[in-house]
Amino acid sequence: MFPYEAGGSGQPDGSAHHSKGAAQRFREAQLPLEKLWMYYYGIGGDIDEMSLDAFLHDALDIPAAQVELISAAMTEMAEGDAP
Amino acid sequence: MTSYEESPGSLDTGRQEFHGAETTLQNLVLDSQDIVDFLTELAVIASSRLSTPGYPVHAGVTVLRHKRPEAVASSDAQAKALDELQNGFGDGPCLTALRIKRPLLVSDLTGEQRWPYAKAAKANGVASILAVPLDLAGEAEAVLNLYSGRTHGFSADDISTVEGFASQASASLRLVLRITQLSEARNDLSSALESRTVIDMAIGAIMAENRCSRDTAFSILTKASSTRNVKLREVAASVIASISGEKQINTFFDE
Repeated sequence: MFPYEAGGSGQPDGSAHHSKGAAQRFREAQLPLEKLWMYYYGIGGDIDEMSLDAFLHDALDIPAAQVELISAAMTEMAEGDAP
Repeated sequence: MTSYEESPGSLDTGRQEFHGAETTLQNLVLDSQDIVDFLTELAVIASSRLSTPGYPVHAGVTVLRHKRPEAVASSDAQAKALDELQNGFGDGPCLTALRIKRPLLVSDLTGEQRWPYAKAAKANGVASILAVPLDLAGEAEAVLNLYSGRTHGFSADDISTVEGFASQASASLRLVLRITQLSEARNDLSSALESRTVIDMAIGAIMAENRCSRDTAFSILTKASSTRNVKLREVAASVIASISGEKQINTFFDE
């Protein structure tokens, strides 16, 4: 489930937690995909929307750095919800 | 939109304003004041068109959000109360009409067995109900509910009038939803571009300073963001500010 070593940024703190949670967190958040992609793109994300979709359905492995950014995007969006 | 920290030292203040994460069209119907106004107008017109002296017709609009019905617009307080009553029961003629996607007429609530709600509505002075779903082409789900104090309160003419209203309103509403959705997507895109400019710039700066790869630079930035619990974009802005003192990085594109 976590073959992100190659091309990734090594294993920064908490990244195992991030990658494990991303797909599940996305399902729980009931977030529209294009909204997440747009935010993720805005913080420097590299993969396209379709690949993001595939990743979130456990159908594609992506570099660890991207997993981190997706996770960061979800965290920031969730925080943005609060007033 | 591009308001950064005043000084790089005060990182833990001022969260970037962020528009609600959820943008399903159902949410738009409920959250946009324009759309609520539009639906209210629809309810008022339907109500005044069908009311006759001494026999008022109350009209309300219910929208499904996350599969839960919410009364969003009405011609008067009574219609809203009746809609909410039905939504509280979780089923009734209007919710059934929504489900079967066809207009539904109950000309006499007396002895109506299909919904427990019927008895409660009757107790509130309702004798007949007409529910017409608004066809939003799968974009959202809404139904126009009409309540009359008379049995057989809706004639064949009334029904075709309301169906006419509903189909015109649906067409306009689809357009409004589409426009609202597009303009929201456009706003998201502009803020994504603005944010990305700042972040890419900061990444380049970190790469130069640490002689590291882009991935490593991202790693440094996300780490700083999560340990300090500050948004990535704000950390990036503070990186730039600490190098050049620039507090405002603008991205220009055709409006």
